[in-house]
Amino acid sequence: MNSEPLPWRWVGGCTLALIAPAPAVVAAEYLSVAAAQRAVFPEATGFEPVALQLTPAQRQELTMLAGPQPPRGRLAVWRVLGPAGALGFFFTDEVVGRQDFIDYALGINTDGTLRTPEIMSYRESHGGEIRNGAWRGQFAHRHDGATLRPALDIRNIAGATLSCAHVTAGVRYLVSIWQVALQGAAETAR
Amino acid sequence: MADTERNGTARVAASLAAMVALLAMPAMSSPSAPELETRVSALEAELRELKAQLAALRAATPAPQNVATPAAPPTPAAVALESAAGGEAGAGRPPLTWFGYGELSYTRPTGDPGQARADLGRFVIGAGYRFDERTRLQSEIEIEHAVSSASDPGEVEIEQAYIEHELGRDVRARAGLFLIPSGLLNENHEPTRYYGVFRNSIETAIIPTTWREGGIGLQGLTRSGLRWDAGVTTGFDLSRWDAASGDGADSPLGSIHQELALARAAQLSVYLAANYTGVNGLRIGASVFTGGASQRQPGLPDCRVTLWEGHARWQPGAWDFSALYARGRISNTAPFNLALAGNATLVPETFFGGYLEAAWRARVGRAWPFVPFLRVERFNTGAAYAYLGPGLTPAARPDQTAYTGGLQLEFAPGVIFKADYVDFTDGNSLDRFDLGLGYEF
Repeated sequence: MNSEPLPWRWVGGCTLALIAPAPAVVAAEYLSVAAAQRAVFPEATGFEPVALQLTPAQRQELTMLAGPQPPRGRLAVWRVLGPAGALGFFFTDEVVGRQDFIDYALGINTDGTLRTPEIMSYRESHGGEIRNGAWRGQFAHRHDGATLRPALDIRNIAGATLSCAHVTAGVRYLVSIWQVALQGAAETAR
Repeated sequence: MADTERNGTARVAASLAAMVALLAMPAMSSPSAPELETRVSALEAELRELKAQLAALRAATPAPQNVATPAAPPTPAAVALESAAGGEAGAGRPPLTWFGYGELSYTRPTGDPGQARADLGRFVIGAGYRFDERTRLQSEIEIEHAVSSASDPGEVEIEQAYIEHELGRDVRARAGLFLIPSGLLNENHEPTRYYGVFRNSIETAIIPTTWREGGIGLQGLTRSGLRWDAGVTTGFDLSRWDAASGDGADSPLGSIHQELALARAAQLSVYLAANYTGVNGLRIGASVFTGGASQRQPGLPDCRVTLWEGHARWQPGAWDFSALYARGRISNTAPFNLALAGNATLVPETFFGGYLEAAWRARVGRAWPFVPFLRVERFNTGAAYAYLGPGLTPAARPDQTAYTGGLQLEFAPGVIFKADYVDFTDGNSLDRFDLGLGYEF
């Protein structure tokens, strides 16, 4: 089998694809905060921002509960209101995948069970497979969010190992916050 | 909604400022009763106006479910949580990011302990830079074997240097020097991500990990778990074949790759790859790479290199199973080999290899740092040669089979200690005991 002439058509096609104007979207951002709120709590009627202030004792408890954590960015919490009262809490969080931040959102129901997290932004070349609905669906309805272990409790995606492990650790952190600082508020609201 | 909020907030702020100014009028002299009455009346008027503005602002604000209002920032005492402020995710991030990995090893051939070696095999620093939310640079520079000079065995290499641009939510393009999506290791070659002190034989001898080419490529990723890759890149250069050395027998493609170092590009190559990860714990995929390798150089026959492979990885809970098969072919090698007849290493027509691997993560407390593993490999870097005539055609090399058993200990996140033993079934000349230390950050 002899080689064929240069695949210049391929080169031309790919070059055109590279220089073609991209859609007018911020492509790394898959969901805005408002869109993530609607995706995680579609039945909600309101989201009230919550300003968290932990005592030193709560901070210590949080560190013990959440276990090893990747570098993280900003975290925000909202109390979620429904037609019949409080539905739970909505979080946005940012954890480093391999070298850059993954923005994701998580919902925790008033009984402590999890809702399927949403990936809001992914900025790295590799590991974007964590957007898979099947992978994210592993978190839904779980009661053991504060003790989740990557690979064992939340199955891994080969090729996206760090992203899977760090988002799982991040979820553990958020559930630990809920246990330490918000669970009482949720029970009061009920 | 944002404009309404901003205008309303400005009006309220102006009113508050007016009130504060009124209240702050200096008591340089005690006001008289009529003056006090005037001030109180003014305050009442301001208060009525303020209430009206607040009511108007509330009426103009949409239903709360669409409001992602930032919470008030926490007091300094709440530093355990980086921030409780919402707002634009990812805004204000430094665009430059760093990463790295490295590996050290000690290897001791059991049949020839005099050949034991200790080595800082790789020291790698990588940098990424986000030009904007859709365009980024990915780069990686590697120093192999600690010292690189004319009299030392080390090398300094650029392993990756490409620009990636998001074309949409699910498609991205890249241009530059990047890794070919072939096999399980090539794109995931950090020491914390594979079992054994050294990379397996198949993804070293058959797939020349770390295999990179210069070119342009497209990658698509769907939410259902399908990733596809396609591209046009530089390829191999048959003129690099050194028939007098054993490099070609160690890795046929590794001995003729160009790594974008003044790479001959008269003939380009194409690749296609697909990987499916839509079932939790499963990765299954395949790839093919093909292109001319003579690069239209005088005296070289027009030949083509084709490498294809299929792989699967299944990680149910504590178990981790992998399988891979790769097969390569170099066409029209007879004229080239005929000119080299009598040399030690001629160009094979076909070469192949496959492995099966199993690992088990042992749980200790909340972690699972101990990972024993076992791998069996079978490969041949010279499975067949083009017919050159009686007495000239090289004999096919025998298949090699190797069993590797070992243990890994991740004693800190991203830091791993490894030990293994490799047993080749065709004699003990290559059998060895290895120790390694790897890290990734």
